[in-house]
Amino acid sequence: MPPTPCANCHADRAVIIRPKNRQKLCRQCFLNIFETEVHETITATKLFQRGERVAIGASGGKDSTVLASVLKTLNERYDYGLQLTLLSIDEGIKGYRDDSLETVKRNAEQYAMPLVILGYGELYGWTMDQVVAQVGKKGNCTYCGVFRRQALDRGAERLGIKHVVTGHNADDVAETVMMNLLRGDLPRLARGTSIVTGSAASEIKRSKPLKYAYEKEIVLYAHHKQLDYFSTECIYSPEAFRGSARTLIKDLEKIRPSSILDIVRSGEEMAELVPSEVRGGAAADEEAAETTGCGSQGGSGRTRGGEMAEMERKLAEDEAAADRETEVTLATAPAARRKKNAVKSQVLGKCERCGYISSQRVCKACTLLEGLNKNRPRTAIEMEESLEESSSTLRRLEKVELGG
Amino acid sequence: MPGKEIPDRCMNCREAQPAFILRTRHVCQDCYVRFVKYKPFKRTENYRLRRNMPQDGPCKLLLPLSYGLSSTVLLHMLHEQIEAMRLKPHGPKGYELLVLTIDPSTISPTIPSHDEAFSLAEKLFPQCSFTTVPFHSIFDLDPNIGEVMSQYAHADFKDQTSLSNQERLEVFRASISTATSKVDIDNILINRLIVAFAQKMECRGIVWGDSDSKLAAKTLANVAKGRGSAVTWQVCDGMSPFGLEYNFPLRDLFTVELRNYASFFPELAELIIPHEQPSENTLTKNLSIDELMVRYVLTQGEKYPGVMLNVTRTASKLQSSGASSAGPQCNLCGALTFDANEASVAPQATGQHSDNLSSQICYACARSRPDLSC
Repeated sequence: MPPTPCANCHADRAVIIRPKNRQKLCRQCFLNIFETEVHETITATKLFQRGERVAIGASGGKDSTVLASVLKTLNERYDYGLQLTLLSIDEGIKGYRDDSLETVKRNAEQYAMPLVILGYGELYGWTMDQVVAQVGKKGNCTYCGVFRRQALDRGAERLGIKHVVTGHNADDVAETVMMNLLRGDLPRLARGTSIVTGSAASEIKRSKPLKYAYEKEIVLYAHHKQLDYFSTECIYSPEAFRGSARTLIKDLEKIRPSSILDIVRSGEEMAELVPSEVRGGAAADEEAAETTGCGSQGGSGRTRGGEMAEMERKLAEDEAAADRETEVTLATAPAARRKKNAVKSQVLGKCERCGYISSQRVCKACTLLEGLNKNRPRTAIEMEESLEESSSTLRRLEKVELGG
Repeated sequence: MPGKEIPDRCMNCREAQPAFILRTRHVCQDCYVRFVKYKPFKRTENYRLRRNMPQDGPCKLLLPLSYGLSSTVLLHMLHEQIEAMRLKPHGPKGYELLVLTIDPSTISPTIPSHDEAFSLAEKLFPQCSFTTVPFHSIFDLDPNIGEVMSQYAHADFKDQTSLSNQERLEVFRASISTATSKVDIDNILINRLIVAFAQKMECRGIVWGDSDSKLAAKTLANVAKGRGSAVTWQVCDGMSPFGLEYNFPLRDLFTVELRNYASFFPELAELIIPHEQPSENTLTKNLSIDELMVRYVLTQGEKYPGVMLNVTRTASKLQSSGASSAGPQCNLCGALTFDANEASVAPQATGQHSDNLSSQICYACARSRPDLSC
């Protein structure tokens, strides 16, 4: 059988079947098309301004490595006039980040970009290893997730950079749409699909230029461009809603490859239809839905499936309560229904302590830090000595809370 | 464990023996039926009392009967309501129920024609008027459809008016390649046929039989097919883009509750065509998106029925598209299309079809176009 020619240039041999539309392309045409599509996304959304300083959230993983490579290429090819910087966050887990940070360091050399690595230790005074020593292994994902969400913004602020780009791809966005639908989370449904998050409340603009790029094509791009990246799959399984949405999306992709983009499109359409009172702004404080892997495992040692099961239980209780209400007193029935359909609005302000945007008085990171700092240094032995009724109860409670 | 024992009296009426578990409560059959009937009873109240509508003149509702579990149960419940209304000489005028069936054998050749069921239904529900039509009568009821098909389908496709309507429809349906697109387009054509009939009969609205799990699957499938904005009328009570009110009175009920309800009335068994799920062994990639979502809601619904119910509730909170962002109606599915300039800068997955048709056919319908293999 003669080799299939590239469907684009008709000259070279096709070596790639595009996951997005099963088009057969040669290596060079694939790379060009991939880059051009990202360029189109950037120009259509007027994402950057000339002379802007942009921090690329770099983990050493495929998404951020491809993002850095493509942005460098496009910045030179189309003369965006951007000053690009790699910004990495070190959670401070011994042995876990070492390899990926080495990758980022090599990337910085390969792309001739400045690199800044900021640790949780510097930003919060606690490395993840110290957090784990304090709270135990089970609840630590909550801390890691909350800290990570703010870390990029805080890091950018230190560098005086006002725009952070992240490697979120189309699969991530589609997953988020499905997940927010399952969770019934309208505010996040409204903002999860927009390419730029961040609002008047925040100094830092966040965007995802790879929003329309398929995960599979990112892998192919990295492979054919021979990019140097490190597989940083989170060692914990995703929480139940995201896990469920992820499986669903992989199945959908098998049936109709375009469905990932179709879901993103649906998400964009639905975002327009979310009532304005629930939109809120871009609540970066609560961007749990936007982190891709871990970050929302849930506190106090809940297992996989815990979040979904808990919501199920809560919904069943609400349902039972509503039923009792409507059946006993007919007069209150319409009111009850109205209440059920009413939507909570989110008001965004700034955290009193750190100034980061938050829908609460004190942002989640500061609340967690307060808890950590209160118990430092740990006084377990002292308590053992002064055994009183109240303190032993307290300690038992503490054990339940921390040990899970 | 305390509290887990089966009580010896129904937890509702405290008289009869409990026979069923209804949302964690042990109840007797009578209370079960009362509960299940009450949900759609509330949902149809506005039509019974003619709230916010003219008190005089007819108020016709169309009930599309597929002989599935849900639509049959809905017919049974609404018929009972009408009988009760007619017994009150001075009560409000209420509504009339028209029932339309599309001969199931003309939709899928594997289903035998269901003529005996049609006459049985007429006999069981004398307060309703019944009509049955073949699928291909869409050419008569919706005269524009032939033109839309030619415009929509592959360039090689010609709608030959010289053929019989049955053949015309077969040729068009055969031109659509994938399982997902086939189901998608069939649903659109069936909806158009039902709407055209309802308009011809001057109905005020359509009452659909979909239960909660069906609506949840429909919501997710619509989102997955790029029909995100259509969920506001595809699964929500309210005005559809066709000038007809859409209502889903069974939206609060689980399929298992409908199944139990149907089992209390043995005469319904002869009407209902058992629904065949695609076999467990079917490869995922050979399913349609609609089938995948039904399967997903079914398996997840066993563990998390409330979460699945909540999907539809979330969709109901979306505002139906205001005139600001909505463009003209799609020629095929009738949905209001989003203004391409505003909605998305998403690159087309397939570059083959960025032609002039995009203005008349919506994004999602373009996805199901015959010559797209994916």
